[in-house]
Amino acid sequence: MAIFEHGDIKIEVDEDGFMQEPEQWNEDIAKALATTEGVDDLTEEHWKLVNYLREYYLKFGIAPMIRKLCKETGFPLKKVYELFPSGPAKGACKVAGLAKPTGCV
Amino acid sequence: MPKHVKITDIGKNPGQQLTHVNLADLLPLPPPYDKLDEQPKWAKIKPEHKEKLECTLDDTIAVGFPRPKTKEEEQELVDKFLSGLEKLLTRENNWTFLQPLLLTLEHCAKCQTCNDACPIYTASGKNDVYRPTYRSEVWRRIVGKYLKPGGKFFGKFTSGDIELNWTTVSRLMELSYRCTLCRRCAQTCPIGVDNGLITHELRKVFSQEMGIAPREIHEKGSVQQLTVGSSTGMTPLVVKDNIEFIDEDMYDRTGIKYETPWDKKGADILLIHNAGEILAWPENPGAFAIILEAAGMSWTMSSEKVGYDGINYGLWYDDFQLARVALKHAEIAKKLGVKKIVMGECGHAHKAIQVIADRVYQGEYNIPRESAMTLLEDIVFSGKIKFDPAKNDFPVTLHDPCNMVRLMGIVEPQRRILRYLCPQFREMTPHGVENYCCGGGSGFAIMSGHNFQDWRLSVSGRMKLKQVLEAFDDYPGPEQKKYLCAPCSNCKGQLRDLFGYYNVWEKSRIQYGGLVELIVNAMVDVKGEFIEWEFH
Repeated sequence: MAIFEHGDIKIEVDEDGFMQEPEQWNEDIAKALATTEGVDDLTEEHWKLVNYLREYYLKFGIAPMIRKLCKETGFPLKKVYELFPSGPAKGACKVAGLAKPTGCV
Repeated sequence: MPKHVKITDIGKNPGQQLTHVNLADLLPLPPPYDKLDEQPKWAKIKPEHKEKLECTLDDTIAVGFPRPKTKEEEQELVDKFLSGLEKLLTRENNWTFLQPLLLTLEHCAKCQTCNDACPIYTASGKNDVYRPTYRSEVWRRIVGKYLKPGGKFFGKFTSGDIELNWTTVSRLMELSYRCTLCRRCAQTCPIGVDNGLITHELRKVFSQEMGIAPREIHEKGSVQQLTVGSSTGMTPLVVKDNIEFIDEDMYDRTGIKYETPWDKKGADILLIHNAGEILAWPENPGAFAIILEAAGMSWTMSSEKVGYDGINYGLWYDDFQLARVALKHAEIAKKLGVKKIVMGECGHAHKAIQVIADRVYQGEYNIPRESAMTLLEDIVFSGKIKFDPAKNDFPVTLHDPCNMVRLMGIVEPQRRILRYLCPQFREMTPHGVENYCCGGGSGFAIMSGHNFQDWRLSVSGRMKLKQVLEAFDDYPGPEQKKYLCAPCSNCKGQLRDLFGYYNVWEKSRIQYGGLVELIVNAMVDVKGEFIEWEFH
């Protein structure tokens, strides 16, 4: 376990920087986590992706299928990588405050 | 060359690293991947982790066990380790592998023939600690000195010296996660010694007797599977929702309409996928459904917890977890009254349910289990589905998942399909039962904490990457699209990470995927191309 600090924000994260208590997530935390992914400015498109992930997570308790994410946000996978260079699971999910994906994914 | 490490070094110099991994020592890769300065740089272990976690073996961390705070705590762990080791040498405490374990302990002639068969040892530039014989020799000497009568006095002379202390135990703990259990070493041994099994048994001591295992395979793996229903975290509600999405997506992609059957009592086949497929490679379960429907098979999936996730990570580290999951699979099949369980494209799940679970499946639980490979072969050659192999006219090679091929002997069915449906199919060298592991075996593909991913992509996956590139050396560049068929989810995860790490898609245009995708791609009734030539 580690502590991630950015400005006034102080949260517990795992060794890869994923939030340990996803229920504490808010938009300021998202902005702070995004800096660790090399994203300094969250645009409208970033938020569309993050909010979709967040809503899905609150409903189902896990991250959505990547294909579903692409279909329902209208972003092709390439676009997702443009927005979050480390990809949907390691980048976008981290910023949306989801736990690290588990199992053979 | 890495510095020579002696067996006795494992217990010396506490707090200091036993060995290092230098990129310059590693097995060279073919061009354009051969330039040292272009190879990905390793993430360093963070100082705060170095301080708190056991990491004195090499330059990475797999288990991440917190350092004991006192000498007493250390001694307690050493004692537990020794008593655990002793337990595993008795019949009542080792119902799975006692005989091969005893044979291996007694009969190794120390000829070191197995070392050159090991892709990790070879790819590391021959680092002594990665020899298949290193950890087994440590085990043998511990048994000889600390467990055999008179060992304290004579063990040094009869078995060789070793110092059993926390430094030895903590390094062995990490070292038991530097072998993928591919068991190429066992295959090559002239007298049948299985040094790969020693890794497995060591992991059992740590998990079963000391409660120590990597979080990804235990807490987030088999434990989560037994409580939530799947190691992926998918509940029955989520898995049904996802499969419904896949059914619709398949219609969009192929023009073929079907609905995946759930919990159909009395169906012939209960199909179980590695649930990771559903989330990460949905085209795989989708392609399975298209094939089974087109062939008019009677089949179902189960929406009961554990019944929709074929994984059985216990195979890698813990017999109890293995038995719990295996029993659940059989119970569900029995309740549904199916004729057999068919395991999808997942190597370790194949071996767990078809081979090792034999010890658990007694009487009414002994439900027939079949590999997807043989079922698919029957379907493809039954004449029920029309194929046009010209649709697969691009270079294809096949990766052999160790569990399915070397360790179970399922070699030909997938090849007969590929020879029929892929005009440009070519073998890797070596292949079949002599294949090299993807480097992600035994749980590595899902272990990425700290910088473990750097280790598994630079060292354990190196030999496979080299082999894949060489299989396509007639079309090395990105102008020609190529397909690496890997009928195993775990292998696919490792190959995806390897390709991403070394930019293989951009540099060489090699796509990876399963077997069913190629079958569906060749179906006459499927409009256009099923395989998407986009890296994912």
